[in-house]
Amino acid sequence: MASIHDDPAALKALQDDIYRERVLRARKMTAEQRLAEALELTNSVFVRMHEGAMWQLGTTDAALGWQEVRRRLTRLGRVHDEGRFVLEKPTPP
Amino acid sequence: MTVEELAAAVLDACDAEKVDHMVTGAFAVSFYGIPRSTKDVDVLISLMGGDPIQPVVSRLESIVDFDPQVQFDTLTWGKRLVGVTRQSPPLKVELFEMFNDPFVLSQFARKRQRFSEQIGRATWLPTPEDVVVQKLRWGRNKDLDDARDVLAVQGPETLDMVYIEKWCAQHGTTERLRAALAGIPPL
Repeated sequence: MASIHDDPAALKALQDDIYRERVLRARKMTAEQRLAEALELTNSVFVRMHEGAMWQLGTTDAALGWQEVRRRLTRLGRVHDEGRFVLEKPTPP
Repeated sequence: MTVEELAAAVLDACDAEKVDHMVTGAFAVSFYGIPRSTKDVDVLISLMGGDPIQPVVSRLESIVDFDPQVQFDTLTWGKRLVGVTRQSPPLKVELFEMFNDPFVLSQFARKRQRFSEQIGRATWLPTPEDVVVQKLRWGRNKDLDDARDVLAVQGPETLDMVYIEKWCAQHGTTERLRAALAGIPPL
């Protein structure tokens, strides 16, 4: 059976369909509902990150799990900020 | 602590210090676009009236550990102060000081107040047009997706596209705007 990944036009159509569905769903919501969903998503993502870190570490120690999540987010923050934020403002020539 | 509890604490601290402020970042994007998760609460704080950041930081000290080192945005040279919640989950707070950038000043002057049941209080947010302009200006992949999402959900026909195009021309981001609009499939 042919894979959709071998057909760029079909893949684009599928991506568009998925995106269209997300946009139309968001349009049906009020702004407050969209914000509420974002907050809920955020809280749930942190729970999943914590569970994932504990599973990877093979621990049942919740504090250790959070410590690992904190470490990962610090690293991720450095990657995202690289070149975007600096500690010193250059002095004009 | 939940992200909404943290947001409420930050905004309450701003109010207590009588510091004019506006929530930006994922909160604003989700309000106008497609809801997405975030790792931080981003707040733009007005500089008017002296040095407002330290009293706000002091009020939050029991729950947020702020890095004493101020950072600078290499795009606009605006100041940013970053903190992380002391308790889990490790949510980030980013306080941006408002500065003398024409777009930032315009964005702040046009902010709107909305009540959020989840945050449990009134919240100042940028307009959807300003979210689009700012995201196109920052221009990282996630920012460009956010700009497209707000354009798609709001619909260019309901937005003040003249305002958006004016700022994009000034920021040299007109091509990014075109690409964002072209990325929206027929709805």
